[in-house]
This record gives sequence, C-alpha cells and structure tokens, in this order.
Amino acid sequence: MNRRLAELKKKYEETPIPEELDNVVMNAVRNRKQHVLRSRRLLAAAAAVILGFGLSVNISPALARALYDVPVIGRLARVITLREYRFETEKYRADIVVPGIESSEATELADRLNAKYLEEGRELYAKFMAEMEEMKQTGDGHLAVSSGYIVKTDNEQILSVGRWVVTAMGSASEEIRYDTIDKQNQLVITLPMLFKDDDYIDIISENIKAQMREQMAEEGKTYWLPETTDYSDWAFDTIAPDQAFYITDDGKLVISFDEAVVAPAYMGVVEFTIPTEVIADELVSDEYIH
Amino acid sequence: MTEMNKRRLQEETLVAFLIENRERLYRLAFSYVKNQDDALDVVQQSIYKALSARAALVQPESLRSWVFRIVVTTAYDLLRQKRRLQPVGDEILQLHQPVGEDVPADFDLERVLDSMDPKYKSVIVLRYFEDLKIEEVAEVLQENVNTVKTRLYKALAMLRLQKDELALTEEERS
Repeated sequence: MNRRLAELKKKYEETPIPEELDNVVMNAVRNRKQHVLRSRRLLAAAAAVILGFGLSVNISPALARALYDVPVIGRLARVITLREYRFETEKYRADIVVPGIESSEATELADRLNAKYLEEGRELYAKFMAEMEEMKQTGDGHLAVSSGYIVKTDNEQILSVGRWVVTAMGSASEEIRYDTIDKQNQLVITLPMLFKDDDYIDIISENIKAQMREQMAEEGKTYWLPETTDYSDWAFDTIAPDQAFYITDDGKLVISFDEAVVAPAYMGVVEFTIPTEVIADELVSDEYIH
Repeated sequence: MTEMNKRRLQEETLVAFLIENRERLYRLAFSYVKNQDDALDVVQQSIYKALSARAALVQPESLRSWVFRIVVTTAYDLLRQKRRLQPVGDEILQLHQPVGEDVPADFDLERVLDSMDPKYKSVIVLRYFEDLKIEEVAEVLQENVNTVKTRLYKALAMLRLQKDELALTEEERS
C-alpha cells in the first residue's frame, strides 16, 4: 500500500476510543435483551418476590411453603443441555455447554435460571471471541475455554447443579458455580438463607481450616493457611458470605473453592463437606441440611 | 433445529459479533460523523437496528458486511439530519483537476479525506482501512462492483494518489 495511504490508515486505526463505548454497547445489547425477556414474561413478579425474599430474610422453608401456593417444579424436572457453542482452530478452541432446566410444566423459576445460564454462556463465548481477537493481534498464544455442567444432587426435594468453566491460556484454571433449588417450594437456596445470622461464616471457615490441617497432616496435601504460606495475603481466611456450595443427596452442606484459591492449582477445585453437627445450632431448620 | 432455536442462535451470534467488534464499529462511525458523541450515537442506534432487524440477515457469512452497512447508513442519516454535509469548496474542486507531478508538502490528506463526499470516503475507508474486498465494499454500500471501482479511482484521485503508486490488484485495475 502507498505510504501516505498507510499513514492515513494508521490515523484511522488510532481513532481514540472513548471509555463510554463499552457501556453504550453493553447497554444497547442488554436493553434489547431485557425487552425480549419482558415480552417472554421470564422476569415475572412472582420469581422476583421469591428471590428478594430469599436474599433478605432467613425465611423458613415451611413458611415459604405456606406463603407461596406455587406449582412445584415437579419430580420430572431434570437438567438438559440447552445450548452448545463450539469454535475450533489450531490455536483457539471454545467448547461451551449451557445447561437448562427442563420441567414437566413451564415454571418461572426454570425460565429464570435458564435465562441466566444462557446469558452466562453467551458472555463466556463473547469473552472468548474478544480475547482471541486480542491474542491474534499480538500474534501468539493459545486459548481454550470449555464449560459444562454437573448435577450434584437430584432428589425429590433438592436439585443442585454446578456450572464449571475451564480456561486454558498457558496454564489452566477452573471455576465452578452452583445453584441449589428447592423443587417443592420453587426457590433458589442461598447460603445466607440457611442460617439464622452471619455467625455461620466464621463457624464454617474455622471448620474448613481444621479440615485443611488434618488433611495436610494425614494425607500430605497442601493448603494455603497462614502457617504454610509466606504470603499472608494468600492464606485462606474466611469463606465469602455467598460462597459456592451445594447440598448432597443425604442433606450435607458442601463448600466449594475455585482452583488456586485455597490450594495450589494442581489440586483443582476443592470441596469440603461440613459436618452437620458443627452448624446445627446455626441452621434455620433441618429441612435441607441434616 | 427449530425455527425458534435458529433465531436465538442467530441473535447470539450477532450479539457476540457486535460486542467483539465494538471498536471497529465506533471507528467506522467516527470516520463519518467526526465527533465522539455522534459516533457513540451511531453505534448505539446501529445495534438497536441490527438486533431488531436480524430476521433480514439470511447468510451468516455476510454478517460483517451487513452490520457495516447498518453503521454506514445510520451515519449517513445522522449527517443528513444534522445537515452537516460540508459543501464542496474550491479546494476540493481543484483536486478533481489533473494531478500534477509533485505534491505540495503541506498537502493535508486527512483533511481532504474528511471533507470528501461520504460516498467517496466510504470506499477508501472500507477498502483500505477496514481491508474489505471490492465485492464486500459493494455489498456494504449496496452498489455494483463497477460503481465501487469507479468511485475508488475518483477518491484516490482526490487524494492525489496516483493509481500507479498503489499496490492495486489486477482485479482492481481491470
């Protein structure tokens, strides 16, 4: 290309990008989406009320059942693959599997969760595409993103679904998020709503530290505790109030940590089952956890 | 695949494309409207248009041309609304005259490009800055390939860039 034309092109490419651009684009895309969601009645008031309640008060499951005369999500509810994104070239690969909850009857809860999972899948794919473009510019590196789901518990009362994401760029990292659903009461169980007050955070954290020390002594595992790491910032201190968790088939609480958060990366995602007797006094009821 | 799923997939592909190419869309818009607020406006309106008209998009491989076309027409519309189209001044008219041997050192290509009629500017921006093929430029501008070639030559002449100087492909020469 002609030198002066190349200069013009360079100026064109150097057009300053305003900071607002990201917001303008995301809002434009989202507003449209909200419009679609509204028209499909996916964000109905009932679901919003249930969610709001779950977050704001320690509502007992029995009370929840009395308050909401809602159709149960049903025993037929099951987890299916809703969508898959695949992209593969020599250096870049995406394999994103989006779960969906299929229910015997249409329910707001299933719709709401499915909308959330679709959004997560879409965002993950868009992020992958953006990162790939960026890497193409600099001309090297490999990128692989895969995601999928795992059903931890599926019984008459509880459905626990985990969505995992593994990102490999040089080294790999794994993250996992859970939704635990009370099928009969049609609500998403959050960690805070299981307990009377915030004391659970310290009680569970201390129990996990004790388990870590035990496993280090007996099984030779490594965890990042204040006494084992030189970097106190890295040491495990407490769980997050909304730490990832699920409930097992026999009603035990399991706390999950993403790769490299509390232990070396090679250990992957780490889980701790909290003995029920440790938290029994803190629980709002023994309905879910016993 | 059901019709519904197909449409959802199309929408998702489109959203991913829009997010991924947001800076390109902004640059393209800016090259017409030449100010930040208007360019952001054009990007926003283009996204709305693209998302509500996605049914019109049939072949996924023409996604880029299709989105670019929306941005270009939206930018044109905005320029028209604002009646900001700069009248062609003497300076530009002179540029249509035969190109001399030597180009003055202070010849400001950028200014000339900015003041060009959008239909000439478009071919330069799309062909040389966005690296689209002639066929794709034609698709974006909804013109036939020969019209695009003619405009490209005129535009280059206005920029006083002789075609011999340019690494034009045979296809473009013909």
